[in-house]
Amino acid sequence: MQLALFVIVTILTLGGALGVVATRNVVHAALFLLLSLLGAAGVYLLLFAEFLALVQVLIYGGAVIIVVLFAVMLTRSSEYPRITDNRQWPLALITAAALSVILGAAFWLAPDLATEPQAPAFTGLAASLFTKWALPFEIASLVLLVALIGAIIIARVQSSTTADNSPVEPEG
Amino acid sequence: MALAFLIPILSFVACPLIILFQRWIPGRGAPVAILAILGGFVLWALMTIGFLGASPADPACAVSDITGALTCHFSTTWFQAGIPGVAASVDDAIHLDWGILIDPLTIVLLGLITFVALGVQIYSLEYMKGDPRFGWYYAWQALFVAAMLTLALADNFLLLYIAWELVGLCSYLLIGFWFENPGPREAAKKAFVVTRIGDVGLLVGILLIWLNVGSFSMTDAFAAVESGAMGSGTTTAVAILLLLGAMGKSAQFPFHVWLPDAMEGPTPVSALIHAATMVIAGVYLVARAFPIFSASPEALMVIASVGMVTALGAATIALVSTDLKRILAYSTVSHLGLMMLSLGALGWTAAVFHLMAHGFAKALLFLGAGSVMHGVGAHGDVDIRRVGGLRKAMPLTAVVFSIGALSLGGIPILSGFWSKDEILLAVSHELPVIFIVLAFATAFLSALYMARAMFIVFFGPEGEDTHHAHESPLLMTGVLSVLAVLAVGFGWIAFNWPGSFGGFGSFVYYDHAEGFHFNVLLGALSIVLAVGAFALAWLVYVRRAWSHKSLRARLAPVLRVVERRYYVDETYQWFIDRIILTVSAALAFFDRAVVNDVGINGPGDVVRKAGVALRLHVTGHVYSYALVVALGVIALAVFWWLRSV
Amino acid sequence: MVPLLYFQLLGAALFGIGLYGVLARRSAVLIVLSIELMLNAVNINLISAASYLNGTGRFEAFDGQIIAIFVITVAAAEVGLAFAIILRMYRNRGTVNVDEINLLKW
Repeated sequence: MQLALFVIVTILTLGGALGVVATRNVVHAALFLLLSLLGAAGVYLLLFAEFLALVQVLIYGGAVIIVVLFAVMLTRSSEYPRITDNRQWPLALITAAALSVILGAAFWLAPDLATEPQAPAFTGLAASLFTKWALPFEIASLVLLVALIGAIIIARVQSSTTADNSPVEPEG
Repeated sequence: MALAFLIPILSFVACPLIILFQRWIPGRGAPVAILAILGGFVLWALMTIGFLGASPADPACAVSDITGALTCHFSTTWFQAGIPGVAASVDDAIHLDWGILIDPLTIVLLGLITFVALGVQIYSLEYMKGDPRFGWYYAWQALFVAAMLTLALADNFLLLYIAWELVGLCSYLLIGFWFENPGPREAAKKAFVVTRIGDVGLLVGILLIWLNVGSFSMTDAFAAVESGAMGSGTTTAVAILLLLGAMGKSAQFPFHVWLPDAMEGPTPVSALIHAATMVIAGVYLVARAFPIFSASPEALMVIASVGMVTALGAATIALVSTDLKRILAYSTVSHLGLMMLSLGALGWTAAVFHLMAHGFAKALLFLGAGSVMHGVGAHGDVDIRRVGGLRKAMPLTAVVFSIGALSLGGIPILSGFWSKDEILLAVSHELPVIFIVLAFATAFLSALYMARAMFIVFFGPEGEDTHHAHESPLLMTGVLSVLAVLAVGFGWIAFNWPGSFGGFGSFVYYDHAEGFHFNVLLGALSIVLAVGAFALAWLVYVRRAWSHKSLRARLAPVLRVVERRYYVDETYQWFIDRIILTVSAALAFFDRAVVNDVGINGPGDVVRKAGVALRLHVTGHVYSYALVVALGVIALAVFWWLRSV
Repeated sequence: MVPLLYFQLLGAALFGIGLYGVLARRSAVLIVLSIELMLNAVNINLISAASYLNGTGRFEAFDGQIIAIFVITVAAAEVGLAFAIILRMYRNRGTVNVDEINLLKW
């Protein structure tokens, strides 16, 4: 039963991933990514990480994909179909395959623990997050804040780059 | 006396003051230079009084057991290199002092320099009046004098060398003062380059002293020579190398070529160079370092030979030259040769005495020549074939110039007679017979060319350039008069006058005090030759009783060689054109092909070409970089895996 | 019962696919998407290890999951910044093709 579920989510995940790297259509790629991420959320469920699965769906499936689609729409131009894969793709294929094989081999050769996945009490996650991991948690929030400000500053239309006759924004 | 170091310092300070503030100082800065040298002169007088009153009991003074003269020495630390106390031994540290050495030689030399420089600078007030670079002239004059004073006071060879080079630099600046014209430019370059050849010898000699003695101090060097710590071969080598420097500065054959050209500078500069600064530096160096020279008979012989050749050769050239300043220039060369000859003959006192007597006489003659040029309105050459009979137009100049000429020609009771006589005496004592014969010939020629110049310019028939001649201003003639008094009277201090003063030789001496000797035979011969020469010249050039045309015709080939100055310049030119330029071309090729193309550009080319080849990997594509990163990760993984297995 | 190895192999495969995407694509947008795939591969690995090792005493409970949360956090920040940069790039140069973003080229 579990194996069957695992096969399904693996197909979802890897299939979506292959779709992301194979399609030429950016919107399709974003949707394939969504598929892959949802598959990953399924994997988390299989591993009894329900909270992670929820977060995955909310953040990736919601926020990130929305951002991606916005970005695709904002930059949409006629050139997208022309942007094919670059000339080094065979090399990239070999490299990626080699790395995967090395990783897989490393896992394969590692001693088998023969343990079962467990489902710990959900409240433990919150307790651990806000006690032992409190400081990294705060730092992570700071990172998000900085990234937010940075993204705004980078993406904002500045007066020097303002095209045509749109009014100059006052400097904030 | 300890303040004697201020004598050069005053003029050293004057130079930048004038350069910086000449626009605001009245008289374009000339008063500053004159006041500085006047202060130096006053200080010199005070120093002399102090020195005469000094005794060996004075802590700074001692009777040197090498030169035998009372020597006062003041010094202070210059710098120390290495770490005394931390290095293996204190001796490992380089310890340099600078200081001043006051002994009779310094005293008389400082007197000559300050006095002549003072006279020249006052004289220049009139002579250089209206020159667009009047201020600069005085700045360089001050620096020139300061350097020369330092040279005379220096107690170590390094300080002496610094001053030596400064003198060379200032002579370059002053000879080439009118650098708008090609003549002064070339003359300045020539003077600089020719003396530089000798300077290399001096530098090597000084370094050789350092290697052998471990000190630049003159006292240490002399002590090392005296005690035999410096081997006789080394001593001779040092002596010859120092002599090279002296020959360059003192215009001895074969380095004499720059001095006659140096008259391209303003005439007062020539007076200073010929009488009180530049050229006497060489004689002074030999006199100062005489303990080194006297320890080496070979070096003494070389000095005497060089001096003899120079004296005789220059005298013959002076006899056939037609330019007044050129005659005087070759006369200087000749008399410097006599001084060298005297030093080579151990006539140390005679050489210094002649240095002084000649200095006053030559300053007088050059300033007199300047007065003539000023009077006839010539700037540059005074061709004695075109001037003549100036006696009426310029009576005072005529009188003082004649005094200088008579003094230098060796007419009795004038100072030149006494000093020359002392030299002849020393030569007759110490050197082979051929030297005394040639020395007499030089003395005769010396009298003859001075007489020739004097009679033609002032007493002969009027020349074509002399119609508008007029006497020079008071300032110039005043200086000339004072110098004339000295040219007449200076020689008399040689005598042992009643009183405390025992004569020049009892004050300025090397090793042992010398009384004034007068050999009747030599003296008589010398008087006959000198008076005879003047009489002969009077007959030929004034009375026209006897023409030298037939003699000229008979001696035409010899005359041509002499008139071309023995082809020394031509030889140098040939040497430069053929040898030096050939070698230079080869070296230049080596420089271009090997040093430049391979040595300098080679690494650059390699780097550039490597860059051209290597930059291809910098594609600018971000995925290429990412690929390299991924490959690196794989490589690291494999590496660690292999290590762990 | 699925062994831990399966999850790990899934993570390795997903990572390889993401890497291929990063190395082979030309569009900046697609490269960012591929990076997301790689981050997810890491997350799968972390969470699987955390789940299977929970009772062994080698880790404290939830450590792996919490690190995964941080990865997601940083990934979100990274996506925001990356698309801000892409937008700016597009505005300045009129393209999202990284071939033409080559000012560092010789």
